[in-house]
Amino acid sequence: MRNMLLIAKREYLEQIRGRAFKFSTVLVPGLIAVMLGASYFTGHNAAAGKHIALASDSVPLANVVRSQMLKDKDARFTVDVVAPATPEDRAALLKLVQSKAVDGLLSIQTSPSGPPVATYTSQSSGDFITKDQLETALNRGLVSERLTAAGIKQGDADALMKEVTIETLQINKQGNAAKSNGMAAFYKAFALAFLLTIPILLYGMDMARSIIEEKSSRVFEVMLSVARADDLLTGKLIGVGAVGLTQIAIWVVAAALVTGSALAAPLLSGDFALHFSLAEGLLFPVYFVLGFFLYSAFFSGLAATCETAQELQMYMPLAVVPVWLSFGIIPFLLNNPNSVWAIVASLFPPTAAFVMLPRMGMETPPIWQFAASIGLLVLSIWGVLWVSSRLYRVGILMYGKRATLPELLRWLRYS
Amino acid sequence: MPVVELAGVTKAYENKVAVRNLSLSIDSGQMFGLLGPNGAGKTSSIRMMMGITIPDSGRVSLFGKPFERASLDRVGYLPEERGLYKKMKVIDQLVFFGQLHGLVAEESRKRATDWARRMEIADSLNKKTQELSKGMQQKIQFIASLLHDPGLIVMDEPFSGLDPVNAALVERTLLELKGQGKAILFSTHRMDQVEKLCDSICLINNGEAVLAGKVREIKASYERNRVVVEFEGSAEFLKSAEIAEAENFTGHAEIKLKEHGDAQRLLHEAAAVATIYRFELVEPSLEEIFIQTVGGNVHA
Repeated sequence: MRNMLLIAKREYLEQIRGRAFKFSTVLVPGLIAVMLGASYFTGHNAAAGKHIALASDSVPLANVVRSQMLKDKDARFTVDVVAPATPEDRAALLKLVQSKAVDGLLSIQTSPSGPPVATYTSQSSGDFITKDQLETALNRGLVSERLTAAGIKQGDADALMKEVTIETLQINKQGNAAKSNGMAAFYKAFALAFLLTIPILLYGMDMARSIIEEKSSRVFEVMLSVARADDLLTGKLIGVGAVGLTQIAIWVVAAALVTGSALAAPLLSGDFALHFSLAEGLLFPVYFVLGFFLYSAFFSGLAATCETAQELQMYMPLAVVPVWLSFGIIPFLLNNPNSVWAIVASLFPPTAAFVMLPRMGMETPPIWQFAASIGLLVLSIWGVLWVSSRLYRVGILMYGKRATLPELLRWLRYS
Repeated sequence: MPVVELAGVTKAYENKVAVRNLSLSIDSGQMFGLLGPNGAGKTSSIRMMMGITIPDSGRVSLFGKPFERASLDRVGYLPEERGLYKKMKVIDQLVFFGQLHGLVAEESRKRATDWARRMEIADSLNKKTQELSKGMQQKIQFIASLLHDPGLIVMDEPFSGLDPVNAALVERTLLELKGQGKAILFSTHRMDQVEKLCDSICLINNGEAVLAGKVREIKASYERNRVVVEFEGSAEFLKSAEIAEAENFTGHAEIKLKEHGDAQRLLHEAAAVATIYRFELVEPSLEEIFIQTVGGNVHA
């Protein structure tokens, strides 16, 4: 026990003093901030400030659509109207689109027998945000025009068309309802998933790399003469896990300081108003430690069978696939956090650590599911440690080549 | 009471028997050489002594008791392949190894500093291990194995990578430790060092002990069949029927007699054709014994 703690302490101090720790402490939150920022600005500004040419054979319709387009404050369109437009006008406007003098051409052709036909031509094929904004403006313009055509005054028509937004509320087990924001929940889910995934994989791989390094430097031979292989492995796991927890604690404190400052207030409002409950705060380190132990123990066993970091690379998909699955399932958590897939993913040990907390952000799952996911994780860690420590025990003294599968099975049987 | 004892120890790896029925024992104050060609089973034997691997059969005892991990706190081990944390400072590394052997940090630091001074590496204590030469790292590993003042010192090739000056420093240190009553076992290929340092040896080949005992007795048990002659005159006597091999270095000849060759007859033959200044019948060197034994030509 004493040696296990000494090994853990050495691992902890060496890693904390290392450049990689300082670098990743700054880099990971920076990366998350950049991704969230990019997502925010993409959502808000992707279609903003576009210069649109509007061509229609109907002057009143063109004007009312232009008016609706200018009302859209997010879009911030600049609109040039050509009405009534001849085919030659339309061809000339298309040339302007082609030469990028304008961003796009909205062409509206009225029909005596049905609704108008509208086309939007631009150089970008996937500009769905602008298309949605134009569609909204066109339909609102059409309704407004029809209402005024039916004899309703413009002011009354505007009053009739006044938009209503739906406020979302989340009800808890006690029946108390509180304001909720779908996008904020979405961002929170991703932030939690990132905060769990990146350190778990980072430190898992780091642990594996350090085992290969120590194996190639033959330091194990000395260590095994003073400590048992199990103590070596567990000490290393505890030390590296503590480094991960320290890093997360630094992030949490830094985040608390930043979010508490006046500077961050405008940034962290609306969709970015992320609130974490006490239960989430308590469960976060639990799932981090469990996820870390599961993946690190797994990679440690495999690393002991490898000679180089390149050989270890071939096992990477075994970690990447559960992470992909976890991130893939997060958008579905938003719609239905109690779907069968969401429950399975939050109980299945390789994905549980990454999915349960983001899911909790949408709706708190029943306690038995927390208990089951933690229980299954603990059982899996025990199983993986059992296998890994056997591979580790034999593998760290085997030099020359990567072990084959039959050899690994033999090690398991005899160690 | 032997400090370490192996009794009928056998260890096999998959299809290869690394050590077969090996027995040896070392007393305190004794320097013991474990010899053998590459792959003979020396490192496998040492690993079993250190509890790194477990024998398939036989018994390992340390300090008069069946092997238990707690006894390893009284053992200093220098492995064949040097194992140090490359990015760690030398002093931190030594303190860590001392603590693993049961010392408290302050005591470990104090002893590390004293030993570093003694082994002439005090200037390197605050450097990272990777910044040091192979020989310096070897000395750090040497210190790491001695910090906790072990009763048994096990060293696998302790002189490899050392220049003659540092090899002499390590030799002196080992002799001092022996004088303090420590039991020392080391493996080496350097027979001159074994002759100089060891009281007893065990020569293993293909996992089996082929020769064991006190160096003096082993050498004495071999026929004195080598002759050194210093002479002036004809070298015709080197064609004598008593001689198996001879090398003539202008007035200095090294001769190996045939089996049961008669040295007296050779002396008469030599004296008949040359003036003899020296005619010495010498015992075989350990190197010769090693080559003869491992090659299967035992002349005991």
